[in-house]
Amino acid sequence: MKAVDLSLTVNGRHYRLSVAPRRVLADVLREELYLTGCKIGCDQAICGACTVLIDDIPVTACTTFAFELDGKRVTTIEGVAENETLHAIQQAFLEHGGFQCGFCTPGMVLSVKALLARHPAPDEALIRCWLAANICRCTGYQMIVEAVQAAAKATAA
Amino acid sequence: MDGGYPPFRAPVTALDGPAKVTGAARYTFDISIPGMLHAKVLRSPHPHARIVSIDASRAEELPGVAAIVTGADAIKLPDPYYGVAIRDQPVIAIDKVRYVGDMVAAVAAIDEETAYRALTLIDVEYELLAPVTTIEDALAEGAPVLFDAPVGGAPTKVGDKAVSLKEPRPNILYEFGYRDGDAASVLAASDHVFEDRFVFSRINHFHLEPYVNIAQATRDGIELWSCNQDPFVLRNDIARMFGRPANAVRIHTAFVGGGFGGKSFCKMEPLVVLLALKAGRPVRLCFSMDEGLLTLTKHAALLVLKTGVTADGRLTARHSEIFLDAGAYSDASVTTTIKAGYRIGGPYRWKALESHSYAVRTTMVPAGSFRGFGGTQASFAGESQIDMIARRLGIDPIEFRRKNLLTREEPFQPGDSPIDSDLPAVLDEVAARSGYTRRAPLPAGPKKRGWGLAIGLKDGGGTGNHSQALVKVLPSGRAILHAATVEIGQGATTALCRIAAEALGLPLDWVRYGDIDTEHTPLNNGTHVSCATAVTGLAVERAAADARRQIMEFAGKQLDCGPDELVLENWSVRRGNYAHPVDQLIGDYYGGAGTEFIGRGTAKIEFDPKAPIAAPAMFWIPCWVGAEVEVDTETGKVEVTRLVAAADSGTSINPLACRGQVEGAVLQAYGQSLFEELRYNGPNPVNATPLSYRVPLATDLPKHYEGFVVEHGGPGPFGAKGIGEAGMLGVAAAIANAIDDACGARLTQIPFTAERVLAALDAKRGNP
Repeated sequence: MKAVDLSLTVNGRHYRLSVAPRRVLADVLREELYLTGCKIGCDQAICGACTVLIDDIPVTACTTFAFELDGKRVTTIEGVAENETLHAIQQAFLEHGGFQCGFCTPGMVLSVKALLARHPAPDEALIRCWLAANICRCTGYQMIVEAVQAAAKATAA
Repeated sequence: MDGGYPPFRAPVTALDGPAKVTGAARYTFDISIPGMLHAKVLRSPHPHARIVSIDASRAEELPGVAAIVTGADAIKLPDPYYGVAIRDQPVIAIDKVRYVGDMVAAVAAIDEETAYRALTLIDVEYELLAPVTTIEDALAEGAPVLFDAPVGGAPTKVGDKAVSLKEPRPNILYEFGYRDGDAASVLAASDHVFEDRFVFSRINHFHLEPYVNIAQATRDGIELWSCNQDPFVLRNDIARMFGRPANAVRIHTAFVGGGFGGKSFCKMEPLVVLLALKAGRPVRLCFSMDEGLLTLTKHAALLVLKTGVTADGRLTARHSEIFLDAGAYSDASVTTTIKAGYRIGGPYRWKALESHSYAVRTTMVPAGSFRGFGGTQASFAGESQIDMIARRLGIDPIEFRRKNLLTREEPFQPGDSPIDSDLPAVLDEVAARSGYTRRAPLPAGPKKRGWGLAIGLKDGGGTGNHSQALVKVLPSGRAILHAATVEIGQGATTALCRIAAEALGLPLDWVRYGDIDTEHTPLNNGTHVSCATAVTGLAVERAAADARRQIMEFAGKQLDCGPDELVLENWSVRRGNYAHPVDQLIGDYYGGAGTEFIGRGTAKIEFDPKAPIAAPAMFWIPCWVGAEVEVDTETGKVEVTRLVAAADSGTSINPLACRGQVEGAVLQAYGQSLFEELRYNGPNPVNATPLSYRVPLATDLPKHYEGFVVEHGGPGPFGAKGIGEAGMLGVAAAIANAIDDACGARLTQIPFTAERVLAALDAKRGNP
């Protein structure tokens, strides 16, 4: 199969890549750009661990073909903190115990980033609804919900 | 709390937190070794069959295929079998397959795609045998047997009043028995005797990081990068199976992306080693989540309890028979069977207790360790029946519990350690917080509201457990803590570093948890049984104290005084009004690179044959649960509107993590209570895919959901004890009790589906 040339931006950096048509974004991120913060849990777009933002919209990288990304802007977990300073969402996850094993955390943080971009002051029902796209087997979710509430407050301040 | 220990009130954030929230944390899943091949596994489509032949010649010819492994390779190993105590699981199927999903052949190739393609070119001829799909079928006269001959291993040692039998009957892989007093005569003399039967479901761990291992194997040594939570147990297993000295086997452990018991003991590890040996190159094997669902489950179970009670509501004796569905292979069934059998009395006072528990072989996915370890099955049945008896006698279930609960200092059973939490006090608090004590029923209509309580209980710390630890304090005062407790999300490494920091008078972020490598890290028995903070924590506290003693002796010598004249604080020794930086003292005396103070510590729970299961419990893990439910009596739908659970951490060393442990475990138990289940249609799994296997999502949370932690003291460092498994215990029973309270439907089988609620309502109304 013929490789596809594409040009995309990942975490603000421009890349020109040549990818096999069947290659998915998660593999390109992990194996070619070494952005291993994109975790693959179920590999079937169920668990949400591989969630990244494409033009600010959360998608599962495990089921997104890389060739679809020509001209797009991708944000992975590695692009959320600014230099050494944690993003307000990351800081809130840290302070509120919004993670345990951490395997779902990158996807979770990116989903929350998209949530707060659209709904800066979400109520608990809306938070639960958005988080339902990401499975966390460790925390029981409540401490993540509290982290999201704290992040919303911090971002608004 | 006793002693003058500093309290750990200030919450700390996890030391591994910044790495985890930025995606920098490295898991085994992320590790890559130069020259690494990728493997895939061919699995049996049949529940029970003899392997007549395997022809892999077409697969071998596929370009990119480096090695193919089958039972013919496994049989040549010094010992191709693994399992805990009883070893019956082969590295890869040798003569038979025993469940749908059993591993038949494995291919290592240049990439996963080639390995997958090679699997389709392997021809296996099977001679089909009859499956054994239920506990009843397995125990029936003339049932097909899974194993034709006795398997390897030995039964686990138990105490004087217990029996422990390996393979006592066909299809029973293990039997445990415990007897205190004469239950039969006490029951005969009781005013009431109630017999009830409970059915417990099978669930999967569903950890998000898949099972993944990378092996590199040469004539000289075997090296594994493993997601396993028991690096030293694994090292010893690999050494035994491959006939290598243990110092030629080296296990590296990174962050583990969830386990809940699923990543304990051997699973795919020996197979990856075998592939790497045959290929002569490093091999990575990563299971898909579908394969993970067919690797291990919690034990489904059937429990029959016969319980006596006096006319005024005092429990007298309990007789129990517990059948755990072990599936095709032993895994950790032996210890689960012991624990389920022994814990069946729950947190109550008995004149006599008799328990028989059995691990039964079936052609289902193997069952093994799962957070709660036999305690979840026992507490579902036990705490349901307590409630049922109270209602039959017309006593408020909370009153009935209060009357019979063990008080602090009463032993769980004669010869065991005393209960170390105030059970009635926290029961009252949970009752208040969950609405039990201030009931607000719904207005008349098809929807009914009810409240239920339960107290799950299990022993913690591990029977006769042992751990070692080592603390290196560098010339700068920065320290590296080495212990084999695996960071699996429970926050143990932060707690352990905090223990070391506290004992050394150092800031927490000066202590780093060292990478685990069996070549350098001190041993422990694995990351199990809520033992990290209490058992490994004690070893860490002692190691830090040892290092501190060396530091003080050195400083005393330099300053020409006794160590007891000095105070160590933030890497300075103070004598009277003068402070002396320790790094300066080291520089002056040692020069060069300075020195490191290396402290060592160990902790061991002593064995004692007088204790029922050969060692008294180090501590007790109670979980108090209160549930409020609304049951729609027309549709059968159950909604849990309030769920409150409490657990006792002793001193909370890492308070955020303690709460997280309780809430996380409670939600797992909640999912299992209401909907989560690995379902079978006869011998075939029907929902062994992440899409169809439903785990709780954020939208499944009860409206009000709360986990809280009490601190009643413990035997660990600074008065701590373990808490990790607590939340699994008691949730199912509390919900069942609330459903009964709401509408009179008693569910004795989980999950509590709408169908089962309607059936129970029909049964109550006397409809067929």
